[in-house]
Amino acid sequence: MNETYASPPSVEIFHAKNAGEGFFSWVATVDHKRIGILYLLTAFFFFGVGGLEALVMRLQLAKPNNHLLSPDAYDQLFTMHGTTMIFLVVMPTLIGFANYFVPLMIGAKDMAFPRLNAMSYWFFPFGGLLLHFSLLAGGAPSVGWFSYAPLSETPFASSPGVDYWILALFALGIGSISTSINLIATVLALRAPGMSIRRLPLFTWMVFVNSFLLIMALPALNAAIIMLFIDRQLDAHFFMPSHGGSAILWQHFFWTFGHPEVYIMVLPAFGIISEVIPVFSRKPIFGYEFVAGSTVAIALLSFGVWAHHMFAVGLGQPMDIFFAASSMMIAVPTGVKVFNWSATLWGGSIRLTTSMLFAVAFLLQFTLGGLSGITFAVVPVDWQVTDTYYLVAHFHYVLFGGSLFGVFAGIYYWFPKMTGRLLSESVGKVHFWMTVIGFNMAFFVQHFLGLMGMTRRVYTYPDFPGWGLLNMISTVGAFILGLSVLVLVWNIVVSLRRGVLAGDNPWNAWTLEWAASSPPAEHNFDQLPPLHGRRPLWDLAHPENPDEPGAIQEEPEGKKYNKNKVGMMCFIASEAFFFIMLLIAYIFYNFSQHPNTGSEWLDPLKTGVFTFCLLASSFTYWRAEKKLESGNYNGFLVWLAATLVLGGVFLTGQGMEYFELFQKGLRAGTNLFSASFFMVTGLHGLHVLIGLIGLLIVLAMALAGDFKNGKIEAVKTIGLYWHFVDVVWIAVFTTIYLVGVRT
Amino acid sequence: MTTHEFLLSALNWNPFLMAVSVVAIFTYVQSCGWKLSGKTVFFMAGLVSLFLASASPINFLARGILFSAHMLQHLLLVLIVPPLFLLSLPTRRNGGISKGFINWGKHPLIAWFSGVGAMWFWHIPVLCDAAASSQSIHLLQTVSLLILGTLFWRPIVGPRIEERLSPLAGIPYLFTACIACSLLGIWIAFAPISVCPVFMNPTAPPEVMAMIRDQWGLTPAMDQQIGGLLMWVPACLVYLGAILVLLGRFYRRSKHIVPFRPQETEKKND
Repeated sequence: MNETYASPPSVEIFHAKNAGEGFFSWVATVDHKRIGILYLLTAFFFFGVGGLEALVMRLQLAKPNNHLLSPDAYDQLFTMHGTTMIFLVVMPTLIGFANYFVPLMIGAKDMAFPRLNAMSYWFFPFGGLLLHFSLLAGGAPSVGWFSYAPLSETPFASSPGVDYWILALFALGIGSISTSINLIATVLALRAPGMSIRRLPLFTWMVFVNSFLLIMALPALNAAIIMLFIDRQLDAHFFMPSHGGSAILWQHFFWTFGHPEVYIMVLPAFGIISEVIPVFSRKPIFGYEFVAGSTVAIALLSFGVWAHHMFAVGLGQPMDIFFAASSMMIAVPTGVKVFNWSATLWGGSIRLTTSMLFAVAFLLQFTLGGLSGITFAVVPVDWQVTDTYYLVAHFHYVLFGGSLFGVFAGIYYWFPKMTGRLLSESVGKVHFWMTVIGFNMAFFVQHFLGLMGMTRRVYTYPDFPGWGLLNMISTVGAFILGLSVLVLVWNIVVSLRRGVLAGDNPWNAWTLEWAASSPPAEHNFDQLPPLHGRRPLWDLAHPENPDEPGAIQEEPEGKKYNKNKVGMMCFIASEAFFFIMLLIAYIFYNFSQHPNTGSEWLDPLKTGVFTFCLLASSFTYWRAEKKLESGNYNGFLVWLAATLVLGGVFLTGQGMEYFELFQKGLRAGTNLFSASFFMVTGLHGLHVLIGLIGLLIVLAMALAGDFKNGKIEAVKTIGLYWHFVDVVWIAVFTTIYLVGVRT
Repeated sequence: MTTHEFLLSALNWNPFLMAVSVVAIFTYVQSCGWKLSGKTVFFMAGLVSLFLASASPINFLARGILFSAHMLQHLLLVLIVPPLFLLSLPTRRNGGISKGFINWGKHPLIAWFSGVGAMWFWHIPVLCDAAASSQSIHLLQTVSLLILGTLFWRPIVGPRIEERLSPLAGIPYLFTACIACSLLGIWIAFAPISVCPVFMNPTAPPEVMAMIRDQWGLTPAMDQQIGGLLMWVPACLVYLGAILVLLGRFYRRSKHIVPFRPQETEKKND
């Protein structure tokens, strides 16, 4: 038992500079633990904001024909409540936990890219501010969190609220994607010796899978909101049926993102539950492989079911049948998880701590939300109850009863690790019971209201029998829920000062974060325990009965992963999805039977020449890399300069083409061809420009002699991006100039 | 004409195909020494799928009558039959990775493009039409789909263990193929124009058309939509299923995991 391993070398030399106290040490921090706490605190602040918005809405709905709020104020409130809770509360809270605990759980010193991590965080309050700034700029968005077109278009939403909503979501999306890339690179490249992927703690595993979901789903949202922004700012008509656009395409794009988003908000909570339940049942998780595998199944299935949000649109019977079937299929892997958690409880010596209480309540409430979710997969039922309070009840059971209960379980479980003190269990139990009672009062009755026909997003309702009473129950429940949050705040504030000292491992848990001190030192671990199984601290405490008898310290597969390469590949994957969405939009608007004028002005031959330049630049860059590898520094500089020139020629060519089209009177708002053409080529041009800036940086570094020591990772990484930009252009050129041009 | 009568009449008892299958079964059973195993089940399932694709009413309808039947046939030939036959072969672990020009098809990139190309290539409108209307091109299509499908599935379920992709590399291999295939499915499902114009005006006997249009209620537009959806949703489920198989393999490789033994809970140890 005296074999110990030195923790891996520090990944970031700038790390130590941020030690210290005071306000600015938090602003400037790149420590993943501090950033995690910043995420949690900021999200908690927005939780208060979004919660207050909900309470005002519940006041308005407390009795029939109430006129506390105007319809427009009510619309703004539910839009802000939804957007805040999804993008500013649930996602950042889970990302915050991931930030804090993923590196600890895998025995790393920090995230793979600490400064990128800090940037990701600062995009989050920035996005929150942008969203709320709309209040000062003429009114918050009032079109619902999914901003259905054409309601969100200028003629129907003329205040700048939707524009701020778009900018906020874009900023938040940048933050989320970069965090996800960071988490993937961390898990792949920074695992301690012995922490093989098969042994990842389930929270880490689910965050890992979830990060892939994020980098693939968010590009669909980004594409959609960029198109909406072009509509609103440049007078295009992508989503305006009155001008030949398609409002349905917005729904497809939005739900391509929106359905995976549902799982993005719940998978890390599943991960927390998968940590908490085994620890407080004193048993290893039942069927680790099934919990881990079903996560992958959920993640993949989530991309193939979005059309079930659109049954009411009238997509046609074949579409409805296929998506009903695939949606029901998601119940299978989710059910597998519920069974595994239940089987973990079975026969364990259960300790009903507050954390465990929240986890058990999660199990019951999430299952209820899941069951009502399955009813939505039945198309006629969906037609009947969609956009009623039955739906509101359903997703609150999943997102509050599920995700947030998971978060609460995580707060009670990990608070001692983050602060060194335990939260009060007695106050915690008060918090728990108030939350459970308040939550179920507020939302269970909404099932009945929905089935009775009460529609959501309407500011008031007529005095039908029973409606007033049920709504009053719901409002009272919501206020109990609101008070319960104050109890949590009180518990946190008091426990921070006077809480019982926790020690390193108050719950007798088994994963690596409990091997660090509480709170962990800036470098996380002085020494790591040996990793011979999935529960290193169990193995350490019970050498006579280890989880994997005879297991040797498996080398992590991570040895061969280069974090820069992994990060860039993930970024490229995300960008590829973005361009796929843009090209789908281009094909959708231009390959139909009624093409718009403008495409006949394109000159495939001329653009072909510039295309050749861009493709040649990939070749020259490849040559530059080869020269550098063989030590020919001057040759490297020449080929690199050639790459820059060729890239510049391409951009100049694109500028000339734009100029000619402008001369002919073509603007983004002229028709659907011009809008989609300028969008696709413009965004590609922007990527070329970014690539050129990257190459200029490489050139500057090269002229300063930075690569003479053989460390050429930056060259390789930028090269990947540059080749990617070229490959995208091949797809764009083929679609627009070769197939799409009308003669 | 009722559906029942149609199903009976459209069976194709092609003597050549029957003879080949009998010989194939005999050879297969002979070569594994008349011992039935899991691999025999895969072999029989593969043969049944092949029959379903090329000798059943699906084949009859796929020849220019129903686009969705064509898609079903297409998917069976690329996604179902080849992996089942590959799984029925005895696995080998010796010899390492074979090299040389003849084995160029073993590169995962080429294998991936074979599988995805099989989907896209035969749905170029001209080729799709040609295959649906000409007997010989249809045969060419069937054979090429089987070959391309085999190339695609070899890195996942091929008989030579060393030539298989590692499970974690296999997941992106299959997932990206699923995306590429979904994109085509989405295009077919939503395309305002016909992907395979032959199916717009089928030349089938009037009583068959009456059955399809009136009893089954399938219009040409719905038919194409179903075809696209088949490629989009169920096809992706095949890839997803394969991904789950890979995950199973990945976790099975850790031999040291012992099952939980209740008598050794911490209750005793604490």
